[in-house]
Amino acid sequence: MTTMHRLRRLSAATTPLILIAALALLVVAVMVLGDRATQRMATEALIRVALVAGFWIFAGNSGVISFGHAAFACVGAYTSAWLTLRPAMKGLLLPGLPEWLAQAHWPVLPAAVAGGLAASVLALLTGAAILRLSGIAASIATFAFLAMVNAIWSNWTTVTGGTSSVVGLTRYVTPWVALGWAGAAILVAALYAQSASGLALRASREDEVAAAASGIDRYRHRLLAYALSAFFCGAGGALAGHAIGVINPDAFYLSLTFLMLAMLVVGGIGSLSGAVVGVLAVTLAGEVLLRLEGGVSVAGVSFALPPGSQEILIAAAMILVLVFRPDGLLAGREITLSARRVAGRERKQT
Amino acid sequence: MSKLGVFDMAVRYGKLTAVTGASFTLSEGARVFLTGPNGAGKSSLLGAIAGAVRTAHGRVEIDGEIVSGRGAEDIARHGLSMVPEGRRIFAGLSVRENLLVGTGIRPDREAVAEDLETVYAAFPILAERRHAPAGALSGGQQQMLAISRALMTNPSLMLVDEPSLGLAPKVVDEVYERLCALQDLRRLTLLIVEQSATRAARVGGRMLLMRGGRIVADGDAAAFAADDLLAEAYFGDPA
Amino acid sequence: MTLQLLFDALSLGGIYAIAALGIALIFGVMKLVNFAHGQFIACAVFALIVPSADAIATLGIGALPAPLLIPVVLALGAGLAVAAEALVFRPLRHASPVSLMVASFALGVLLQNLLLVTYGGRPKALSLWAGLGAPVPVLNAQVPLLQLIVIGAVAVILVALALMLKRSRLGLEMRAAAEDFGMARLLGVRANRVIAGAFALSGALAAVVALVLVAQTGVADVRMGGAIMLIAFIATVVGGMGSLTGAVAAGLMLGAVSAALQAFLPPEARPFRDAFLYALVILVLLIRPQGLFAPAGAKPRV
Repeated sequence: MTTMHRLRRLSAATTPLILIAALALLVVAVMVLGDRATQRMATEALIRVALVAGFWIFAGNSGVISFGHAAFACVGAYTSAWLTLRPAMKGLLLPGLPEWLAQAHWPVLPAAVAGGLAASVLALLTGAAILRLSGIAASIATFAFLAMVNAIWSNWTTVTGGTSSVVGLTRYVTPWVALGWAGAAILVAALYAQSASGLALRASREDEVAAAASGIDRYRHRLLAYALSAFFCGAGGALAGHAIGVINPDAFYLSLTFLMLAMLVVGGIGSLSGAVVGVLAVTLAGEVLLRLEGGVSVAGVSFALPPGSQEILIAAAMILVLVFRPDGLLAGREITLSARRVAGRERKQT
Repeated sequence: MSKLGVFDMAVRYGKLTAVTGASFTLSEGARVFLTGPNGAGKSSLLGAIAGAVRTAHGRVEIDGEIVSGRGAEDIARHGLSMVPEGRRIFAGLSVRENLLVGTGIRPDREAVAEDLETVYAAFPILAERRHAPAGALSGGQQQMLAISRALMTNPSLMLVDEPSLGLAPKVVDEVYERLCALQDLRRLTLLIVEQSATRAARVGGRMLLMRGGRIVADGDAAAFAADDLLAEAYFGDPA
Repeated sequence: MTLQLLFDALSLGGIYAIAALGIALIFGVMKLVNFAHGQFIACAVFALIVPSADAIATLGIGALPAPLLIPVVLALGAGLAVAAEALVFRPLRHASPVSLMVASFALGVLLQNLLLVTYGGRPKALSLWAGLGAPVPVLNAQVPLLQLIVIGAVAVILVALALMLKRSRLGLEMRAAAEDFGMARLLGVRANRVIAGAFALSGALAAVVALVLVAQTGVADVRMGGAIMLIAFIATVVGGMGSLTGAVAAGLMLGAVSAALQAFLPPEARPFRDAFLYALVILVLLIRPQGLFAPAGAKPRV
């Protein structure tokens, strides 16, 4: 017997499938038709999908804007680097690493998972303090957290290499690998959103007092979302590091934070589909602007945008979106197969 | 020309319609009660007239001039002052400062000083505690303060939302006594939202009965008390 | 040695307090956490020099004599802030606090990159009032003249601001609006005036911080807004969001703690001074989430 509720649940379940299918199609198209540059762009976009889907697990459900998620990416990237770099190299460049870490030489997949887990642990530890604060205060605290991680990473030269880059990471991230992680992030994000915890978190976002009166412990749900969210940002950071082969703390600081926020705002913070659409839109726009910054000839006249213009235009776009379409491109709606079609399919099966 | 004219006022909060098709006029010096059960839309209607509700549609005229669509601070300059539900006094400011917040719109400083003295004379407790933080006053005292504060803008038209809310009956008596005295003194036009229809009938005046967002009846308050209409509005089947 | 530390703490804390005030003023009136405040500071700094990519900056406005320079820079800071309000924040007047915050973050990025495009990314050396670095003997310590001036200026500014808020018409309206904006409007308080006033003040305070930073460090860097803005935010949160006295007190405290850490941490740990500071802050927030001086009724009673 198909109730309205069950239909809606089924309809909601189609979202991650549609998103993953669309991304898979993108990868196929790029691998078949595209050149190395387009493939690199696709990989970058998919890594960002993993990052932003992870980011959305927390920010989208709790309504709290975290400025600190880039720090999780940093931790994840460096954890993966520490585990996969050759011991000889680590002994030379990062003498401060503990013995067991310096000797470690893991395969890439467990290393990426470990990166995610390390980020999650950090999230649990710091979330304990940060997540008890009210929304805006919590956001500011996450900003402090980001600065703290950056300060530590930039100065702990014997362990992190300080502000110099750590090079030599295995470049194993192909569009398919990135798709795998992006898909996993989307799936977990969708599952969490539909779970009891996700619903409780969204409920408490609307009215804190009412939720508390209904017995919802907002703090615990926030903590769970924060840790889950950190995992995918950590893994995403590892992917980002291994995609280029070089990491340094500045790559996971303010510009990444701004980028992630822009993608979420443009697509719409209210829905997972919005987050994904935001990634694609901003990445595409970014690529176009990057080409323009490199110089373009129009009717024989060549001109180039000065560096920094990319950020200016994205920032201006963000402000315009917030003023004219505050809910983002998708206005908080998910891409789903409508309940009616799902019902039709169900009826056919019975 | 009527003091206040409201024509086809509607207020919607998203998909919820709080007020629809409200129309009435008030003549100068009138005392009118807006009554009805909870959720009938009384506060929304008052807020819409004062310009405090953004999602309001309809025409409001004060002394024949259209004020609807303007911001609350503009409408206040047309002689309208509102005492909202729950007093909303500025707890961190002193009693005196509370009274002075609204005087920015009055160019005549001597008149302001005079009015302040009148308020202190009418409400000695406010004079006594003029430098105390307003949050330290009791509920009844805060109500006096809220009303006085609204009077300091030198209004000709005053909207009062639930003056009796959370107050002991004896205190409510006192509040209404003062309110009526002030009305006589200053030729005020009063529109009062009052939960208790019996209270309204006792104080006396015209009554507009609201139900489900509409004004369903309009007449003398005392006559209503006798009529079945009131009982039906409060306890009857929703239309 | 402790006297020296006291002056260090006071001058550092004083600047942090001024920076925090700039944030708290706007938050109090419209519940906006202005992430662009650090960039207001940076813009005021760069307003002093002529646009170029040179490593050694040429003073433009900065070459004016102090009695002229100070009002001009304050006016520029105020003007920038008011313009930002009119162009970015007024259209968002009725948006959620989160949207406002994100918009201010975007504005900050926009301003920083505008500076980048105009002046290049290299830190520039610039000399403003270099003579103020000369040490002045005070009791048994040698204190840079600039520090004394900063401490004095901060005290004057705080007193002037307190007087303005307590005694002036605008101050009364701002305080009322900070408590209950809607009610203030019902009493005829002009929303635009109050908000513009708060922004103008905030911008002027940002300009003060800019002048001190330049005189102290002799450097103009497009990234300089970020660090001090972070401390200002932390002071606002630790002091209790919406409390002006809290912001000032917390700013002073953070300055004191920072100076103490700098003095007492072992040399190897000094680069981590900032990390210690942030960790301490998180600790404070763990114990008292609503801040140290939160205004009454800050937590909703369930």
